[in-house]
Amino acid sequence: MTETVTNLWSIPLLLIIPILTAIVVNFLYGKVKAIRVVAILSSLALFAIAVISPYGYHWFTGQPAVLLNGGYTYSVQIFAWRLSLELYFGYMQQIMIAVMSLLLIFVVAISTKVMSKNMGTYIGLIFLIYMSSAAIIMVNDFYHLWIAVEIGSLLVAGLVAASGESISQKAALKYTFFSAISGAGLAIALALILGITGYPNVSDAIVSMHINNIQGMQGILYVAFGFLVLSWIYAGGLAPIHPLKSDVYGASFPHATVMLQTQSKLMLVAIGLIILRVFGTLPFAKEVMLGISVITMMVGVVMALLQTDFRWTLAYLIISHSGLVTVGISLGTISGIIGGMFQAINDVLYMSILLLCCEAIYYYGKGTSIKSVSGMAKKAPWLAFAAVVGAFAASGIPPFNGFQSEIILIQASLASGLPEVAVVILMVSVTTFIALFKSIYCIFLKADSTPETEQAQSRQGSIPVPKVLYLSLGVLIVLVVLIGVYPQLATDFLNDAAIKVVSMPWVP
Amino acid sequence: MIELTLQLLSFIAAGLLVVIGLGGMLFLDNLIKKIIAFTLLSDGVNLALVSLGYVEGGIVPILEPGSSYLNFPNEAALIFGPGIVLTNIVIGVSTTAILIALTMVLYRRYGTLKASKVLKGERK
Amino acid sequence: MIDAFMVISYVMVVGITVGAVAALLQKDLLRAAFITGAESVALAFLFHALLAPDLGLTQAIVGTVLLPGIIIIAIFKTRRHEEE
Repeated sequence: MTETVTNLWSIPLLLIIPILTAIVVNFLYGKVKAIRVVAILSSLALFAIAVISPYGYHWFTGQPAVLLNGGYTYSVQIFAWRLSLELYFGYMQQIMIAVMSLLLIFVVAISTKVMSKNMGTYIGLIFLIYMSSAAIIMVNDFYHLWIAVEIGSLLVAGLVAASGESISQKAALKYTFFSAISGAGLAIALALILGITGYPNVSDAIVSMHINNIQGMQGILYVAFGFLVLSWIYAGGLAPIHPLKSDVYGASFPHATVMLQTQSKLMLVAIGLIILRVFGTLPFAKEVMLGISVITMMVGVVMALLQTDFRWTLAYLIISHSGLVTVGISLGTISGIIGGMFQAINDVLYMSILLLCCEAIYYYGKGTSIKSVSGMAKKAPWLAFAAVVGAFAASGIPPFNGFQSEIILIQASLASGLPEVAVVILMVSVTTFIALFKSIYCIFLKADSTPETEQAQSRQGSIPVPKVLYLSLGVLIVLVVLIGVYPQLATDFLNDAAIKVVSMPWVP
Repeated sequence: MIELTLQLLSFIAAGLLVVIGLGGMLFLDNLIKKIIAFTLLSDGVNLALVSLGYVEGGIVPILEPGSSYLNFPNEAALIFGPGIVLTNIVIGVSTTAILIALTMVLYRRYGTLKASKVLKGERK
Repeated sequence: MIDAFMVISYVMVVGITVGAVAALLQKDLLRAAFITGAESVALAFLFHALLAPDLGLTQAIVGTVLLPGIIIIAIFKTRRHEEE
């Protein structure tokens, strides 16, 4: 049982290839074709690595682990001190990184056709956001968690400010001010946990907390829990600071918002699972997380109903569905955690469909406000079909994937004895349907009431919709229907991680 | 009577820096002063992290050639705090650079540095 | 045992706190940037006293040259005095 365990080859590649691509693409500014070739090849390589990679660990010291009763071993047994900083690539990491790589291919292909100035820096930022999200879903120690959150916050500011409007720069400034506070808090939480348990590795910290007597230190644990919840709220844009994050989603280009919302969903899942593993047995810990999630869900849909612009409706709906993901994780049971992670994957897919439709509407030259655009179904029937599919999936209607994850969440909350949460989830689902169809009816289905001359003039101001956008919409619709009909395709990957969080929290 | 060691005084100073920095970031009106307050907050966190590892009368945790290393773990100060702080300093510089760039762009657009005028939400 | 090193360390601790408050109360933003630089020098000395010399070097460079440098660039491009 003591075979040598070597570091996995694919974990460093998943983190180094995006950084190298970002550097190379930055140096190639001006040569559009070269940037497009390099970026698309690199994203295809990342997708291939995520699909074919085996499972394993990457330790940053390479020394053998220490067994609890003395002796050394290279194999990863359950009762051994890791004594290192490590990254872990398992079932859950594989499906999440694969979905994110697919979206990276689409975003890179679309933005190299559309963005004209500063393309090298922009594509570099997109690759670095991919790198920080892939790192944070694979971490198993607090030090790498803190670094990945900090890198992610700087990149969000850069990507939002690249839109050039003054509202995007204001959103980036406010968001970066808050990231300073949450980053400082996370560093203090890291120091506190290091002081109580003596190990930076999450698995070692949990075993040390259970072995040693930490009777008098509940107060310090609550302070560390508070700072970790603060950075959880910051990463996902949950209840008290939802205006900051919804400004970030609404004020950037829609294809950039695809990468931004993927990053925040993955950060929510990763930080939430670590909080559950370390602080799950603290009294009132799960209740606090559940309260924040329910408030986020309700506030998000109420604000989404009041918007008159399709882009801002989507921004508030992303916040509200982040609340759905965190409800699943805060319930703490196996089916709740599976529901939360499954909801994150589905959410990323159908929100990408809606955001890419929003991007295509922009190319017709009149913006996305429902006061100025109407009758698009005649000009772009396939776009209307895609938007309707996305809206049905977001509302949780049966043959699409939103229904599968919401039914798991509702059953999990009923099984935990909280039927009120199930009622709130149903109301959020209905209100999402209303908010989306208000915009879709006005933009696509209402008859065009502008006179003929204005229609002819507006057609001159539009740029052609890239074919690769229709291709990506097609692939995403196929995925949405496939996961909706066969949910086992996704939940088979998530069982493993959920069981380990609840029953053996010291195994990643 | 509480003994005023260097470690205790450093903790108190770090706590005061964090409170002053946080209050300055939230309540001051000028954007440049908010950025200076963020620098102070980050300095306070760094000082707290470094003074966690201090050992009274200890030696610097660097192995010099010719010294014995049998008593090294007992005498040396802990090194994990400074490891975190080095990364924190780099993150602080990068964040300050981004904040300053955004402030300059917003000043060119609005002509004022008052946060209440510049960061007012627009009617969407 | 009272020696000069400990006395200077205690003086630096007091100086950091006083400098922090003074930097935020200034009306002239250029003076606020300089006081921040002076406070970083005191912090660098304190890092040396707390047995972390590599941090002392890093803080001395970053806190006195880099951070006040970019703040002074911002002040020259925007305005020097705080508005009422």
